[in-house]
Amino acid sequence: MNRLLRGLGLGGITGSPQAFAVSLGIMALLLALPALHNGYLELTFRNILMFAAMSYGWNLLGGYTGYVSFGNVVFFGIGAYCSAVLSAHHVDSLLADVPVALVCAALFAIVVGVPILRLRGHYFGIATLGIALAAADLANNLDVLGGSGGLALKQVPQEQFSLYYYAMWAVALACMLGTFAIARSKLGYAFVAIRENEDAAQVLGVWPTRYKVTAYALGAMMTAAAGAVYAPANGFVDPSIAFAVDDNVFPIVMSILGGMGTAAGPFIGALLLAGLNEILQSQFVKIHSLFFGAIIVLVVLFLPRGIVYLIGLRGGMRRYLADRAAFRV
Amino acid sequence: MQLFFQDLVNGVLAGGILAVAALGFSLVWGILNIINLAHGTFIMLGAYITWQLFTSFHLDPFLSVPIAFAIMYGFGYVLQRGLINQVVRAPILATFLLTFGLSLLLVNLALIVWTGDTRAVSPAYSGANFTVAGVTVPWTKLATLVAALLITALMHVWLVRSKLGRAIRAMAMDVGAAQLAGVRVAHVYAVTFGLGAGLAGAAGALLSLSYSLNPSMGEPFLIKSFVVCVLGGLGSVQGALVGGLVYGIVESFASQLDVTVLGQHLSGSGLQDVIALVVLLVVLVARPTGIMGRAAA
Repeated sequence: MNRLLRGLGLGGITGSPQAFAVSLGIMALLLALPALHNGYLELTFRNILMFAAMSYGWNLLGGYTGYVSFGNVVFFGIGAYCSAVLSAHHVDSLLADVPVALVCAALFAIVVGVPILRLRGHYFGIATLGIALAAADLANNLDVLGGSGGLALKQVPQEQFSLYYYAMWAVALACMLGTFAIARSKLGYAFVAIRENEDAAQVLGVWPTRYKVTAYALGAMMTAAAGAVYAPANGFVDPSIAFAVDDNVFPIVMSILGGMGTAAGPFIGALLLAGLNEILQSQFVKIHSLFFGAIIVLVVLFLPRGIVYLIGLRGGMRRYLADRAAFRV
Repeated sequence: MQLFFQDLVNGVLAGGILAVAALGFSLVWGILNIINLAHGTFIMLGAYITWQLFTSFHLDPFLSVPIAFAIMYGFGYVLQRGLINQVVRAPILATFLLTFGLSLLLVNLALIVWTGDTRAVSPAYSGANFTVAGVTVPWTKLATLVAALLITALMHVWLVRSKLGRAIRAMAMDVGAAQLAGVRVAHVYAVTFGLGAGLAGAAGALLSLSYSLNPSMGEPFLIKSFVVCVLGGLGSVQGALVGGLVYGIVESFASQLDVTVLGQHLSGSGLQDVIALVVLLVVLVARPTGIMGRAAA
């Protein structure tokens, strides 16, 4: 078991302490970024922080309890639309947007989570994907949400734009520290028990449904907070932005690349992949999705256990090939 | 009453194609334990192959069905043998993501090759129809249904009678035992995935007569294939057929819905994904044992 845990890149319940310390250090540096007065860098890193928060949101359920959600973007959309609808009612403050988004996302996660978290494996994955597609479908048809035309939001004046950057930074930091604290608490151990063997966990007194729904709801809140800050920062929300396919799958690939079920993995993954995507997007405007597809394929084929696994690997190339061969037929 | 029968007939006509589409998805899921998120994309490719043959060589769309099947079979075989077999034993997330990445790659390639413009395959006879007791039946859709039933029947006979078909069914029961009995697992996996892709290609060829084509046309069919599988049961030909017809009828009636909730006007025709999801959740919740409770390894 110990070997298996290490093989998955899970030194302890929060993963490698060094990786977490490095992540915190990078976060501290990022706080100083607006001092450079570089709008492009600020936008790029705000995106990276947003993806970090969304990856943390996915990681709590997907990485810690092992339930693979393929539709977490629905919570991003809920967060974004909360801000948009509030703005339509002349409430334009992140201090209102974020709490409302947190409450809405948590409620939605609980209502939806109770029935669908009884599903396992593929069934759960596809049910969440179905919910994400259905939500986009619904938003396209609801006049309250502006239909397919979307909603515009009132933004702060240009010279105060760093506000959105700081807000996203705070959300990402809260997700990082939150994941660390949750993983080390009783909750985290219950999540991992469910991942390793749900039936055994139940026998030992862990009530799976309760913990799974908790993980789902907490992850939903992290994702929704990112959406609630993104919407006013972007100034506009429509179904194709709020429920974008990229935003749905990016966090999963980032969590895998950085290391699932760790407190630093999602941040490291987001930093690497969102950074790479930014470069691709600026170099290949029209076909960057093509490269994105290729990146996913390459990550799954060559780094199915994440980059932290690769760094901590003992035994070199031979061990790496042996680990990969275990997945082959 | 007449409208009722018209909806019913429309549903059955649509259900035939869904059955073919879902059959490929069901085989791959049931036997390889892979949810192929590129399945909808394969359907799109089948449709575009048909369109290309029709536009370049004036080939009748029905004659394209075996060609689309063969091309997509070969493509699927190579894909499984070369890529997917590498991670087929990894946790389910790996194949989920891999097929998603492939789908993204292929959709964007299709955008480059065929552009995002909407295309249509319209042979001279495409508008022809006949009327029985007030119910209108387009000839192309009837022929499509017949072709779909034929493909399903052929598939069934092949799986039951042929040596390779037996090997596939044996693997669905117990991979280890099948391997001990001499089944070449890597090859048979690739054949199965190839068949799944081939059936998607055939479904795409049939679809091209009744739907307009664009590179992202496959996504709703992916979700529908999944729902049909859950409805009918996994990995069985009869299941896909029954599930396809039932789902076709449900969707046909649901698309007539026109409701106003809290001042919000909602019409069924704009909410295809919502309808599919509702059917899916109802089936999953109403049958808590059996299909639903099965934990994936």
